Amino acid sequence: MKNVLELVRKGTTGILVVGNHPGIVQSILDFDFLSGKKGPSVVAIVGGARKAQKFFFGPSELLLPCFPDIGPIPRSFHGRISWMLNVRSGRRAFDSSIAFFERFPNALGGHLFAENIPERHATELLRRFGNDKLIAGPSGVGLLVAGHLKLGAIGGTDIAQIEAGNLTTEGSVAVVSTSGGMTNELIRAVAGARKDLSFAMCIGGDRFPITSLTDVLLLAQHDPKTNAVVYFGELGGVDEYEIVGLLEKKKLTKPVVAYIAGIIDEAFDEHMQFGHAKALVARQDESARAKRDALRKAGAIAPDTFPEFLAELKKLPGETFHATVLTMDSMKNRRPSVLSTREVVDLDAVPTFVKNKKLIPQKRGFAAAAFEALLDKKLRSDVTAAFAEAVLQLLIDHGGEVSGAVNTMISARAGKDLVSSLSAGLLTIGPRFGGAVNAAAEQWLSGVVQDDAATHFVEARTKGGKLLAGIGHRKYRVGIPDPRVAAISQFAGLLKEHPHYDFAREIEAVTTKKSGNLILNVDGVIAALALDILAECEKLSPEELRELAACEFFNALFVIPRSVGFIAHFMEQKKNDEGLFRLPEELLYVRKSKGKGR
Amino acid sequence: MARVKISEYRAKKILLGDAYKGIFVHAGQSYSAKASKGTLVVKVDQGIKKRFKQGLVAVGVTPSQALKKIAEWKKKGFSQFLLEPLVPHEASEEQYLSLERVREGIRILHAGEGGIDIEAHPEKVKTYIVATDADVKKVANAAKISEGFLQHLVGTFNKNFFAFLEINPLVIQKGKTYLLDAACLVDSAGAFFTDSWGEDDIVTTGSEHPAEARVEAIAKTTPASLKLSVVNKNGALFFLLSGGGGSIVIADEAALEGAGKFIGNYGEYSGGPSREETYLYAKEVIELMLASKAKKKALVIAGGVANFTDVKKTFTGIIDALSEYAPKLRAQKIKVFVRRGGPNEKAGLELMQEFLEREKLFGSIHGSETVITKAVEDAIAFTGV
Repeated sequence: MKNVLELVRKGTTGILVVGNHPGIVQSILDFDFLSGKKGPSVVAIVGGARKAQKFFFGPSELLLPCFPDIGPIPRSFHGRISWMLNVRSGRRAFDSSIAFFERFPNALGGHLFAENIPERHATELLRRFGNDKLIAGPSGVGLLVAGHLKLGAIGGTDIAQIEAGNLTTEGSVAVVSTSGGMTNELIRAVAGARKDLSFAMCIGGDRFPITSLTDVLLLAQHDPKTNAVVYFGELGGVDEYEIVGLLEKKKLTKPVVAYIAGIIDEAFDEHMQFGHAKALVARQDESARAKRDALRKAGAIAPDTFPEFLAELKKLPGETFHATVLTMDSMKNRRPSVLSTREVVDLDAVPTFVKNKKLIPQKRGFAAAAFEALLDKKLRSDVTAAFAEAVLQLLIDHGGEVSGAVNTMISARAGKDLVSSLSAGLLTIGPRFGGAVNAAAEQWLSGVVQDDAATHFVEARTKGGKLLAGIGHRKYRVGIPDPRVAAISQFAGLLKEHPHYDFAREIEAVTTKKSGNLILNVDGVIAALALDILAECEKLSPEELRELAACEFFNALFVIPRSVGFIAHFMEQKKNDEGLFRLPEELLYVRKSKGKGR
Repeated sequence: MARVKISEYRAKKILLGDAYKGIFVHAGQSYSAKASKGTLVVKVDQGIKKRFKQGLVAVGVTPSQALKKIAEWKKKGFSQFLLEPLVPHEASEEQYLSLERVREGIRILHAGEGGIDIEAHPEKVKTYIVATDADVKKVANAAKISEGFLQHLVGTFNKNFFAFLEINPLVIQKGKTYLLDAACLVDSAGAFFTDSWGEDDIVTTGSEHPAEARVEAIAKTTPASLKLSVVNKNGALFFLLSGGGGSIVIADEAALEGAGKFIGNYGEYSGGPSREETYLYAKEVIELMLASKAKKKALVIAGGVANFTDVKKTFTGIIDALSEYAPKLRAQKIKVFVRRGGPNEKAGLELMQEFLEREKLFGSIHGSETVITKAVEDAIAFTGV
């Protein structure tokens, strides 16, 4: 255990978090990022049914792997895990700690966060692991090695606290405390005295800390970086006599400044049980006064009042404070993403099907077979087959933001199966999402038949704020053409005539005068060219085309490929199962409900 | 989280099982003298120290005499009693034995003689440590106690999450062991792991303030820590403190400034309580303060720089409670003094300052850049105690 701090400073800092405390985990990742680490020290999280959990690393997000138990952690993780952060309750911390150290016998140590761990469990842990592991707790806030390791809530869980405590700068003052809150108060006091921290450890307010005060003090004594020890103790227990013993035997020669709280006990008629389990005077030598006097006698600086104690910190040896300027602006206003997914297809890459007005020959495969099945006829033309391939490829996915993909992902996160999640996505397809191909086909058909002037057609169709199908895009506009529309449009060059495509472009010429965003979109161009290709290459009559529109053939062109996309999103969510989805609490309540709004 | 005392009856029942013939009598229940025969020992069983010297034990009484004793003790306010058959023995047969959980294992103190006066003769007490099963045999041999008995004692101690057990006197007659008097502390954190003892077996001194009982009841329903002790119901300084260690530092400052006896309550909340839990806790402290007859009173809301307790969230809970009592607090001219740091510190302090100023309760407010003791110093200056 002697060289554990050196190992940490050399980078042995991989943490397995046992239990669920996202606030603490996030603070560790913030500390890591602000300390200039390339990646998080938390390797994985144990507990819960999810397979991954999202956290920030600096301004961006990442997924940390989660496992249901210590057993299923794959071998590939083993070499990276050196520390346990156990945030489970007093009822469950013991078994999981035993399991951790049995599974990772070479781990350097850990921290048990829970109060209420039975004494018997604490003494059993210290009997088995107390000699060669550095273990903070039971209870308290853990261990901090400035700039290298934050094992627990120690030093705070707010980014502002990491900055205020100057936790990422290596220094020379060690902080040791029984109390979690006072550990942080002391860390701040050290920063306030213009000193930097070498390490800080909260041994916890329980009766039997696993790593004893003596061991921590010897760690400080042997640590080449540490020049002085700042200690906070309380009435109750006799731990402070360990310091006295070490000072008397000259095993601890670095300066010790100590504050022992609990003089207040003398103002009461009976000894009182204070906040921590140990904080009760059972014998005279456990009083704050007795312990303080003994420390003074042994050579420690142990002032009467807290302000005097703070003044003493300023006199400690050690280089003066050098606050690292932390660039935190990018971290202050970060917001978690709603869902985590991947790009199912490369949305920027558009395949080429027609080059220099010539068809790039395609082997007839699934797409052609699908068209034949839907049309109930053999395809006569390679143009149709290539068009089928083009459409099915382009419509597989359009990013995770669209409503159908969102519904699929939410259903997957709710634990639903493939068919249910796929159905949830498909059921979203309709007039506002994905269902525009069929509507556009009907539109172009009637426009061509009526031989109406485009201006008039637009006017008639958009009366009362109605929208045209197949027209408009959120991102692309005049001057920034949609590459997919351009790719599909190439098919027009292969045809002798293309009345539906021409009509669609005429409509576009009218609408783009209103707004640059009202361009012909993928749905619209697919509908138009599908009609033209089926008419010219497959010899379908206008009646047959109308019949196809009536039975939603053109919607099938969207449903078939997008099913593949939804299934890909489903699988992605299952792989990184982050548990049940819930929106952040930022909903607009359009009507006040009873009892809300306190 | 702490060691608590259980009744002697329960301790002996756990140790001896069906062989134990003691009868537990509660003040509320009727008890017939016919249930006991022969010569008895009767005692108050409420975890009181030095019962013998206080006259709370009667040895060698008949069943009807025992009933009279119980009636007499009831009048003094005691409520739990224990009846046992008398074990006749010589004073010279009395031994002392105690077990306590320590870092190294179980520390055993034993004296071959001495009995109830053992404290007067510390030189007669020998100390042993049992860390492993093998140690039991060594200790039994060295102390001349039956190995089987000691083995049973140590096993029961471990299995039932005992923290301290004192048998005084222990009487050994012809190889048979009698536990005449036993005191037992259990580790309350073990309650989840054993059902051999429970809530009903824990003895209290009975002088608990109702507010303390209410806070204890809330504390049982949350992983956060909520503690309250009423110290002086007519105190001038009332504390809403956070953090086990920080709260003592703040109370210390009051003692160091000579205001120790004007402290109304001690207590602390920590471990990230919710807004609602903080509200319920704050209400109790505010009611205590309003009931105090002190002329000039101050509320001190103070604590260290929290690691993970959200300052804004807990302060919102405190404000919920303060706003309920604001008119009464103003009527009594009470002022509020604040020092706190931690997550969401700035937002929490701003919220509190805005509220206190609006409600005319503002004393002073400080953040983590100010020393932890500042609020209590301000409050002492205000109350002039």
